[in-house]
This record gives sequence, structure tokens and C-alpha cells, in this order.
Amino acid sequence: MKIYESAVRKPISTILIFIGAVTLGLFSLNRLSIDLYPEIEVPMLSIITAYPGASAEDIEQNITRRLEDNLNTVQDLKKITSRSQDNMSVVTLEFEWGLNLDEAANDVRDVLGRVETYLPDGIDKPFIVKFSTSMMPILFLSATAEESYNGLYKLLDEKLANPLNRIDGVGAVNISGAPTREIQVNVDPKKLEAYHLSVEQIGQIIAAENSNIPAGAMDIGSERMSLRIEGEFAESGMLRGIIVANIGGREIHLSDVATVKDTIKKMTIEETANGYKAARVMIQKQSGANSVAICREVREKLPELIKTLPSDVKVAIFYDSSEYITNSIDSLTETVVYAFIFVVLVVLFFLGRWRATIIICLTIPLSLLTSFIYLMFTDGTLNIISLSSLSIAIGMVVDDAIVVLENITKHLERKARPNDAAIYGTNEVWLSVIAATLTIIAVFLPLTMVGGIAGIMFKQLGWIVTIVIGTSVIAAVTITPMLSAKMLRYKAVHTYKGAGIVFKPIDAFLAKLDRGYAKLLHWTVHHRLLTIASALVIFISSLLLLSRVPTDFFPPSDNGRLEAKIELPVNFNLEQTTTLAHRLERMILDSCPEINYYSVSSGADDEGGFAALFGNSGVNQVSLGFTLSKRTERTRTQFEIADVMRRIIARIPEVEKFSVGSGQNGGMMGGSSTVDVKIFGFDFDNTGKIAEELAVKMRTIPGARDVLISREKMKVELQVDFDRKKLAQVGLTTATAATAVRNRINGLTASLYREDGEEYDIIVRYDESSRMSIADLNNILLYTTTGGAVRLSEVGTVVERFTPPIIEREDRQRVITVSASLAPGAALGQVATGAREKISELTLPAGVDIAIAGSVEDQEESFQDLLTLMLLIVLLVYIVMATQFESLLQPLIIMVSILFAFTGVFLALWMTSTPLSMIALIGAIMLVGIVVKNGIVIVDFTNLQRERGVALNDAVITAGKSRLRPVLMTTLTTVLGMIPLAVGSGEGSEIWKPMGVSIIGGLTFSTILTLLVLPAMYSAFNVGKAKKERKANAIEIND
Amino acid sequence: MKAVFITYGQSLRHPVEEVLNKLNIRGFTRWEETQGRGSETGEPHYGTHAWPSKNTSALTIVDDEKVEPLLEHLRQLDVQAEQQGLRAFVWNVEGKM
Repeated sequence: MKIYESAVRKPISTILIFIGAVTLGLFSLNRLSIDLYPEIEVPMLSIITAYPGASAEDIEQNITRRLEDNLNTVQDLKKITSRSQDNMSVVTLEFEWGLNLDEAANDVRDVLGRVETYLPDGIDKPFIVKFSTSMMPILFLSATAEESYNGLYKLLDEKLANPLNRIDGVGAVNISGAPTREIQVNVDPKKLEAYHLSVEQIGQIIAAENSNIPAGAMDIGSERMSLRIEGEFAESGMLRGIIVANIGGREIHLSDVATVKDTIKKMTIEETANGYKAARVMIQKQSGANSVAICREVREKLPELIKTLPSDVKVAIFYDSSEYITNSIDSLTETVVYAFIFVVLVVLFFLGRWRATIIICLTIPLSLLTSFIYLMFTDGTLNIISLSSLSIAIGMVVDDAIVVLENITKHLERKARPNDAAIYGTNEVWLSVIAATLTIIAVFLPLTMVGGIAGIMFKQLGWIVTIVIGTSVIAAVTITPMLSAKMLRYKAVHTYKGAGIVFKPIDAFLAKLDRGYAKLLHWTVHHRLLTIASALVIFISSLLLLSRVPTDFFPPSDNGRLEAKIELPVNFNLEQTTTLAHRLERMILDSCPEINYYSVSSGADDEGGFAALFGNSGVNQVSLGFTLSKRTERTRTQFEIADVMRRIIARIPEVEKFSVGSGQNGGMMGGSSTVDVKIFGFDFDNTGKIAEELAVKMRTIPGARDVLISREKMKVELQVDFDRKKLAQVGLTTATAATAVRNRINGLTASLYREDGEEYDIIVRYDESSRMSIADLNNILLYTTTGGAVRLSEVGTVVERFTPPIIEREDRQRVITVSASLAPGAALGQVATGAREKISELTLPAGVDIAIAGSVEDQEESFQDLLTLMLLIVLLVYIVMATQFESLLQPLIIMVSILFAFTGVFLALWMTSTPLSMIALIGAIMLVGIVVKNGIVIVDFTNLQRERGVALNDAVITAGKSRLRPVLMTTLTTVLGMIPLAVGSGEGSEIWKPMGVSIIGGLTFSTILTLLVLPAMYSAFNVGKAKKERKANAIEIND
Repeated sequence: MKAVFITYGQSLRHPVEEVLNKLNIRGFTRWEETQGRGSETGEPHYGTHAWPSKNTSALTIVDDEKVEPLLEHLRQLDVQAEQQGLRAFVWNVEGKM
């Protein structure tokens, strides 16, 4: 018994199996977590090596180069970049996407083990850092306070950070911008000199006084008691009374030589939120944890925690990465629902029967739900890709069921019994239904095999569409005949009674459409050469359009967040930076009313941790973050607002360089695309000059914004040059002398003061008034091992110097990057072409090379991948069709519709001025499978007519006429299913818009042309054969 | 004793079986899939791409008096679903073992 026969004969089993699948699907859906993108591992590793005291150039020569030369042999390495800066070397290895990073890390460790002996002695052991999206903070809280400001750090740490850290999945909670307490011992150098004391001695005494020591145990009588000496300061004031020396029988207290302050640390960063001084709490997730779940839990817990804080402390959520995710997912879910409704309406419109519509549309939820089972078993998430896949598939899943149901109806018309009609009706078409589905699978299955970043994006799409379409074909040959047998009843014509009245105009319209099309077809078939020639002209002229459609990588998405980074002159101190930052803040707020929430951070946290390793830091940095109102509530896009901000910032003369970009959204496509021009060359002056020249030229490219040069300007620095001979004479080394300077200026952490279980640093250093000039430095008194003392000026000189900048390298060559981001509406391809023109204008000195990189590089790689994929898909589709028709020629006729599809894609992109991005290209690739389905239906039915002995042109016209409705129906379900994707205005909709536009344009255009041109071509290609046949028949008769 | 050869569109398989049952005709031989076309009207039943439908054929040997009721019932069936195509042919049976 065939599968469809079993299904019809055993309705209970059939329905229960499907109910089982639906339940499992719903169960999986309930368990799936939400995310923005499928989980990906950024294929990057960094090797960080510290070499205290070495300059950038030393680091480059002695560490970075050696590491690079050896790491270059690691397998699957794509790119090697490095940054050599004072004290530190960071080498970053970039691998192919989708690589197992653990294996790569092992390889890297092996190389490091081998190379370690060749590195300088004084280095810290190199360590490997793995990049991960989980390093991105998923939630920013900002806390403002008035009276409690000084104690904010402790409050936040205890009452907020610690409880939040206990939430499952939370990786780290960092507080920045809050003042921290410290005990300062500011010594007066003159008094120290008078008592022959040094900073180090003071430090030692403080450490010695501030300690608890267990002294063993004593047996007293029959009891054993432990003995302890508790010398720790009970309160910070006790420090003042410490005796630091005894001179001439007189006790010298600490307060005699220094002022002791229990105060807050001098800040190198100032943060404000909505204009109030604020601390920022950043929450990171553990890798693999789900952002949305964590953010939800934090949000739930927060009100409770806030209650425990003093009433003047206000905590607000400044950035919540889950908000964008849930909004995007919600708007996509809406898209899927609309697509479903559209498809149901189209089916009802064409079939005109309620029961048939229900039977067919039942396959939609059935097929879609199975994809959730797949997602659960592969640990997938509900993300933009998986939901878009559903919305793409929704229009295609009904096609098979429609074909089966139509044929069953035909049997019912012939008065077969419902059961028999269902079985034999399915029997006749099931093979061709499977063949047609194979063409779709031939398109989507190869998508799972693409490499690179495109592969990661489209793997889920390929699998989901394949699975959904696969399920739909199974449903079409089991549950559709089963339900048809139970529910379908033959009715010859509409009675137009009751609600049926709506079908009256529809039927009239469809009949008119049939007649009109038949007439048109008659014309084209009798003027086939003219028809084919004009179609050819249309296709060729559309190729000309291609040069007018710019290319792009990923469409930028409006996530409602903007970030401006500004660099001021290096000699700016925190106060100046802050004043300027607030001036800017007011100017921006005045002209951008869309801003809901903003934060300003001036300067940089010197304990910024990880970020400080990779970014440039200094008190001359300002970073402004803005959260805009919802996309639907404002008229200007984020990119337009960014442009307004750029104009405002550019008006301020003090700003040295700046950029305005979209804030990160926790995904890999956060931020906007950039065109990077890399200038390779060893000589700093040469490459620097070229970079400046190029930057000036690139600023003139229309569509280019924020043109930046990656290399920092040389910084002025004070340096002490010690004379080694003189140092040796007084028994000092560079290291001891340097440490002494550091202790006096930067300070010496003598000990820790404990209070309520918290520890605070006790810092000893020169009083601020004694570390304000070069003379103060020269006056520093250095004590020798023999007890003598020398002034710093006697053994060294203080000089002002330009320090070499950070040295960046790529693929083992020094490099400077000139990067440009894109203006609103500008496409990557346009700016890249502009940059190429500007580069060709430059005259390069010997030893300098230029290459375009950045998003352009990724784009070109991905386009290459996708074009190869398209060839593969076209070949597969051809094979499927050729086997179905057992003909080499007929698939070629059908494939003409692919050409028209591309014409439609170009036309739609050009008309909506959408650039050809990777997403649009994927849409075009999908079209290969979708449009040939129409062609297959028409050619198949024409063949059938021919086999039945109908004359060529009659066959072509009859086939066209009878297949018009099915073709229009399948086309409309797909097109209307895509419309919500193409016109959606919700958050994240920008990403999928190009795909919707290209599929709608391509499919519509191709369907119209296919309906007119394909019959003409069929006729033209078979006219020879038809004539021969006629001749053969004629001879027979003559005999 | 007469032999009645009935050939009909596949979808009539069950109705024909019901007729036989109703008339208490126990013995018959059936070919599930046969092909053919009518002499005058009706489309071919070839099970091919162009003519996908198929026939089923049954041969039953009945007593002479049962022939007429059987043909009558079959005729009714044919009128109900003309497009399925149902034909029956009767000939003599010479002997039986």
C-alpha cells in the first residue's frame, strides 16, 4: 500500500501522527530561547604579551615580529594583525569562520611554547585571549546620586552588583565611573628631607603598623588559648598618630610630615547620564547564556534591589540589548502572521471554497512547526534568520497541497467516491509534486554548505526551508488526501448564496482574466520571433541597469542607538574635557529631540580593564551615547540623526578626530559598514604622509563620513634619562631610581585599610603641590644603598619627547588604516569605488602599498562565495528538471525565466533605490528555485497536451490557459508572503527588506514574462519537430 | 453460465465490488491495474504522464439469470459517474471443473 493510500484508509493514525508532530513542535517552540542571530563564535584569538618599560618600537622588533613570524604557520589562519604599544604587544589571529577555536588555541599554545625561548627575558608570559560575543555588555545600568555620591561605589557594589551577579548566566558585573574611597598620605618632601625619611620608609612603617599577627597558642591551666596581636587601624584617623621616626628623643608623628586624607580617588573619568553625574553598571553574560532571559531576570529583580538603596540613588536601565532583540523578533513574528493571512486569502480567492482552503492552509502550521523541532534538537534559537526563513517558506508550503487537492477535485468532478478520488487523485500527481519540490530543495540545501560568514548566516535558513518544504510535501501526500476524502464534496458551480455572494465578482474576474490571457497568448505564439526578441532586449537592457544599482554588504539597521567618540588635543585635562563634553551634549540635545536617554563619559577609566587593552585611552577622550525613541515614533532615521550630530561636532575647533556610529547591538553586524584603506609600509613618515593625503581626498567622496586615520598622533611625554655611570657611582640602578620616581609621583600602595569587610588602598606619595613642575621632578631626592642621598637632577635629566605612536601591523607589515563610514543612504560599493579612484590619484613612494579592506573585503569575499553557490544551484536545478522531463532542451527553455527573474530583481532594486547587498543576492539565489516552478508547470502541461496529440500551437495555448490560475496562485502566495518582509517598518526590518524587494520584483516580473514568452519559446523550439511529425503522418496517409 | 468481463476506471473499484456483493456474486477475478481506451468515447486510461488514469478489470462467471441484474446495476453505476468509464461484456462459458 502506498503512503497516500494508507493515509486515506487509516485517518485516525494519520491525524494522530500529525497531532503528535504538532505537539512536539509547540513544545519545542515553548522551550526555544530568543536571540538576534544564530550563535556564532568570532574566529579570533589574541596573544597579549607585556614587556614593562619597553617602547612601542622595541616591542615591535623583539616581541611582535617574532610572534608573528612563528604564528604565521598556524593552520587555517586567515589574517594576522598586531598592535605594538608601550609595554605591550597584542597579536590578533583571524581564522576562517566556523573553525573550532579550541583546536586553534592549542596550536597557538604550541607555537608560543616553541618561540618563548627567543623572546626577551623581562617579559611576562604571553597569554591567549579568545574573543567572544559574550564580552559585549548586554545591559547597562546607570546610577545617579546626590547626597550618597561619595559612597556610590560601595552601595552599588554591595546592593546591586553582588545580587545581580548571582543571577544564572550573568558573567560579570562591572561598575565604572563611581567614586572609590582611598586613604591618601600626602607627604611634604621638604619635611621628609629634614627628618631623613623617604616615601618608601613611610610606606614600610605604615604597612608594619597596620597588621594583625597570630602569635601561636598558650596552655593556661587546663585551657588552650590562642594568642593574637591586632595592630590594624580601627579607623583611618589612627594613621596620623603613627610614629615614623625618633629624632633626638623627639617622636615624629605621621601628621608631622604628611597630611592624611580619607577621601575619594581622583577620577580620570567622569560619567553623566541625562545630565546627572552617574556611575555605570555593565552586565556581561557567560558565554552561551541567553541574553534575553538574563535581561528579563535582571529587570524583574531590579525594582527589589533599588528599594534597598538610599532614596537619592536613582538607577535606570540605559541600554538593554534584549529590547532590540525582542522587538525585532516581535516584528518578525508579526510578519509571519501577516504572511499566513495573505496566503490564506489568496488560496480562498482562487479556489473559492472554504473547505479546500482549510485543508490546504492546515499544511502551513504543520510544516512550520516541524522547524521548531529541528531548532530544539540542534540547540538553535528563535532568531532573525530562523523567523525570516519561516516567512520565506510560508508561501511555498501550500503549493504541493494545492496541486494534490486540484487533482482530487478533478476526480470528484468525475463522480468518483471521495476515498477513491483522494487515493487515485494523489497517485497521479505525487511524483511530479516531489520533483517540483526537489527544485526548491536543490536551491536551499546548498545554502547549508556555504563557507565564511555567509555560511553561518544562511545555514539555518537552508535547513529550515528544506525541512519545512520537505514536511509540506509529506503533508501534501498524506494529510491533504486524507482530509479531502473526509471533507471535500463536489460542487459544480458557486450558488452565490449567503456568504458565497462574495465569489460572484471574483469568479467573473477570473473568467475574464482567463479569456484575456488566452487572447494575448494567441498573439504571442503567432508572433513568437517578435516576442522572443523583445524579451531578449528587455533582459539585455536590464543588465545596463546593473551598473546603476550600487552594491552593499549588509544593510545597516536602525537599532535606535548612536555613539559618538571624540578625541580632543592630548594636553587636555579631565576638567577641560568635561566642560567641552557638556557643551557638546547641550548642542546635540537642542537639535535632536528624538533622544530619549543620553550618557556622556569623559576621560577614560584607568582601570578600564579589557577595553583599555584594545582601545586608545586617555583623559582627552569623550564618548557620548544616545538612545533614540522607537523607530515608529520618529521621522528621521538613526543615520540622518547621526549626520546632524556629525555637523554639530565638526563645528567645534578643539575636536581632533571624531566618529558617530550606531551603538553595538550584541551581534556581529552591530555598527555600520566601513571602507578601510590599508597603507602598508615600514617608514612612518612616508606612510603617515600618504595617509593624511588620502584622508583629505577621501573626505571629498560623496557618501563618505567620519574619515579617520588609525594611527594616533605622536604624544608629548616627559621622560627621565638617567646617566647609568653616575647612577652606578652612587650605587643605584635604573630600576631602583625609576621605582623611586614612580612611588613619589604615582604613589605607593603601602597597605590596605579594612572597614566593614571592605578594603581600601592606603596610598603614600608626594603632596600634589610638590608634583606640579619639572623642577619638582628634578628635586626628587633619591636615597642610595649606602644611606647617602642625591637629587634626581644630579643623576639624570628630564626631557620632553614625542613618543612613537602605537605601531599597527597586518600580515607582518606595518600598516595605517584610513577608514570611512557611510552617510545615510550611501552604499558601500559607491564609497569603495570612490576610494579606488582617489587611491589611483596618489603617487606612492617606493616601499608603500595600498589595499582596500574592511567591509568591502568581506563583501567581495561573500559575493564570490554566493556567485559560486548560484552556479552550483543553477546546475542542480537543471539536473532535477532534465531528469524530470528526460530532455536537455526543455530545462533550458524553462531557465529563461531565471533571466527574467534577475531583470526583475535589478528593476525592483533600482526603483526602490535599494543597494544590491548580500541579503538581496540571497533573495536572487532563492528565485532560481522559485521561478522555475512556474516554468515546470507550464512546460509539463504543454508536453501532456502534445502527448495527447494536440497540435503544437493549440497545445501551447490550452496549457497556458489551464495553468494560468495555478501559476498565479503559487506566485501570489509567495509574493504576498514576502510583502510584510519588504515593507515592514519594525526594528530590524532593514536587514530583510532587500530580500523581500528582490524576491517580489524578480518573481512578479519573471512570472509575467514567463506566462507570455515561455509558450512562444516552447512553440519556436518545437516547431521543427512538429513539422517533421506532420510530414511523416502525411506520407502515411498518401500511402 | 455466463462470463461477465467488467472494466472500469480505478475509482469505481469499490462500487463495483459492492454491486457484486449485493447480488451475491461470490466468485470473481480482478486485475487491479489494467489499461485501455474506449471504442467511441472516453479518454484513454494508460497510467502515463499524458493519460494518468488507470483501469481495473474484473471477470466473474455467473448463472444466466444473474446476468441481467448485474448489467442493470452496472449501468446505473455508469450513469452516475459517466467519466469514469465502465463497460461490461458477456460471453458464454463452455464448461467448468
